[in-house]
Amino acid sequence: MSTSATLQTAATTGTSERTRAVAIAALLGLGLVFMTGFAPATALHNAAHDFRHTQNFPCH
Amino acid sequence: MIIRLLSAALVAGFLAAVVATGLQFALTSPLILKAEVYEEQAGKQAALASPFAGVIIHAHGGEHHEPGAAAEWQPAPGFERMAYTGLATLVGGVGYALLLGAVMLALQRQPTPETGLAFGVAGFLCVALAPAMGLPPELPGMGSAALAVRQVWWLMTALATAVGIYLIAVRRVALTIVGGLVLIVAPHLVGAPFVVEESRLPAALAAQFAARSLGISLVFWAVIGLAYGWAWHLFGERAVARRSHA
Repeated sequence: MSTSATLQTAATTGTSERTRAVAIAALLGLGLVFMTGFAPATALHNAAHDFRHTQNFPCH
Repeated sequence: MIIRLLSAALVAGFLAAVVATGLQFALTSPLILKAEVYEEQAGKQAALASPFAGVIIHAHGGEHHEPGAAAEWQPAPGFERMAYTGLATLVGGVGYALLLGAVMLALQRQPTPETGLAFGVAGFLCVALAPAMGLPPELPGMGSAALAVRQVWWLMTALATAVGIYLIAVRRVALTIVGGLVLIVAPHLVGAPFVVEESRLPAALAAQFAARSLGISLVFWAVIGLAYGWAWHLFGERAVARRSHA
């Protein structure tokens, strides 16, 4: 029953809603990854230092 | 739909961060701390070797500090530093999970633990393994090219690998497969801005760090993918249950 309900939801969902969801998620995701991995601010760099090294973001 | 995606990404990012933070504390943070000892020693030696050594030591040792030097905040060693590492892993994990969710939705793939895992492994190939082939994970104090140059190469490689995998695995026609392979190989033919400098850091330490770092990245991405597929269903069923009750 849950499968048919899911399919029904998927069918009635508009393309525009999907596009909007993709855009919001992609922008948020890029923003968060930039903040932890690339942001040049010294405080952000120092806070995320060990994470950056381990996840192989270029550091220093 | 956006609420379901955000919720699933938060859960996936959190679970992956818990696992990856534990692995970082156990496997890579101790190596980073060891490397920083060598980095400090090298810094002191460079200061002594420079003709302005006396001036520099005086400037840092005297009571008149430079105004910029004190402004650089960094977490205190020990618990605070570990907490910030955990926090950064959480933010990074949620960010990666959101990107994974966005890609799966854009390609209209139903998230399940299986499909999530496949996309997670693809994410690992794009942002961890492919860039690491040219710029291996580095410990503090290892010599390297200018930061901006390395960041550009890293981003180009991650992007080219992602498009390459898309052309090969999703489009799957002879022409796109060849194009995808070319894209994946191109950044490595161009060459990474990799510089080898003399360092007192033992090579074995650097090698162990690089291997552990990639291992942790793989686990991080695998958990993000698996958990995203699982959480997507969890929040879907809840929404259906709410609607049928209403």
